[in-house]
Amino acid sequence: MRVLLTGGSSGLGAALLNACVARGDRVTVIDTARCPDAVPPSVHWLRHDLGSADMAGWDAIETALAGQGPFDLTILNAGISATGRFECIPLAQHQQISRVNLHAPLRLCMLLQQRRAFARAGRLVFVASLSCYTGYPGAASYAASKDGLATFARSLRAALRRDGVGVQLLCPGPMDTPHASRHAPRDAKPGRRIAPDRVARLVLGASRRRFLLLPGPGARLAAILGRIAPQAMTRIMGRVLFDKLKGRLS
Amino acid sequence: MGLSLAQEMAARGYRVLGTGRRAPADLPPDHPLDTYLQADLSRPDEVAAVADWALAQTGGRIDVAVLNAGLGYYRPLTAESATDIAQVLRVNLDAPLQLAHALRPALAGGALGLVGSVAHRSAAGMPVYAASKGALDGFGRALAEEWRGDVRVRVLHPGPVATGMSERAGRPRNLMDSLFLSPRAVAIALLDALLARRGPDRQVISFLRVGRGLLIRGLTAGGR
Repeated sequence: MRVLLTGGSSGLGAALLNACVARGDRVTVIDTARCPDAVPPSVHWLRHDLGSADMAGWDAIETALAGQGPFDLTILNAGISATGRFECIPLAQHQQISRVNLHAPLRLCMLLQQRRAFARAGRLVFVASLSCYTGYPGAASYAASKDGLATFARSLRAALRRDGVGVQLLCPGPMDTPHASRHAPRDAKPGRRIAPDRVARLVLGASRRRFLLLPGPGARLAAILGRIAPQAMTRIMGRVLFDKLKGRLS
Repeated sequence: MGLSLAQEMAARGYRVLGTGRRAPADLPPDHPLDTYLQADLSRPDEVAAVADWALAQTGGRIDVAVLNAGLGYYRPLTAESATDIAQVLRVNLDAPLQLAHALRPALAGGALGLVGSVAHRSAAGMPVYAASKGALDGFGRALAEEWRGDVRVRVLHPGPVATGMSERAGRPRNLMDSLFLSPRAVAIALLDALLARRGPDRQVISFLRVGRGLLIRGLTAGGR
């Protein structure tokens, strides 16, 4: 199976990469980090900052997509965040979040579709966030980017179904990853977060026909409550999360 | 729609500052703006200039900011280009984010209205535009909670409005167009929703809502 994965160096991306490699997939990774030394030959590692406008980097991606595809499984996972009061986080960080988490996946999808790099009967997975259901005061630009991805995924479904490609939206709650630990309040208990390996298994094993992937009972419950009472849910997030986040310097 | 909003605000007694892509000479003769700045919101440096200008013009005190500028193309993703995707996301998401960031101190005690779209949940015919408005919705949802008690933030999603944007975006005309609302009616309903003390953070300015507003206005005018 041929896989395209953005953000493969840490957290959920690293778990996804390991799981893909373990089952014998050929994986193309796009990541800002340098290629790890231990990476097996079945992995093609492209170093590129998805938040940059660097033409050479994007040209290299286009070439790679043509050479390595079509992909049976595309996982747009690369994402960054910044937490704290919106106005206290430097503007440059908000802009980079918007570019990495939203501009880049839209551009990649455009390239993939134009170059027919989605394999028939394949899948396209967008890694969004449970924040799409709960709101995320304390990470306004991050929440914006993830809601944008969710809307994009819903909007693309019909067109890609005609090409035989299943579009899926993954909305994980807090995971036990470096990213989550960096952005959680100081007193948060890591033991209650879901393991990235578990989320990776869910993604790889999911049926092509399921659109929404909510890993774990906690995420499913939060999504249901968020659907029933979206504003109440965001106010709760404000009390339990933002009140703790806003005190700290970003 | 922006012109209708400006007219309605001027009619309510506000001193209205406006920006747009048009040259000042190309503004309609009946525009109600006190001051105008030509700016291309797809350029971050010009967005910064807009914020500086607004702060200077108002002495750092803004009662109401309505971030209405937006654009989009009615076409499938295969017909998009990297430049156009970046332009739509910059104008519809990055510029409001930058303006909110810069204007925060001036907005204390005031209101910030983000103009979204009914496409914010999904729109198969214009996926990039829909994504930008979905993102704006998520941004406003978080910001409304962060600023609650200091600045009233609302995301207002107008239904289809007869502004010509839809034709310019490339959507073919059809029966639906007879359902499009007039920009003036929507501007009134949108401002009512933004200026009301109580109400949800995110609201759809629907047919029903605009119709109810017009009915109430008609009845009160008739009773006078």
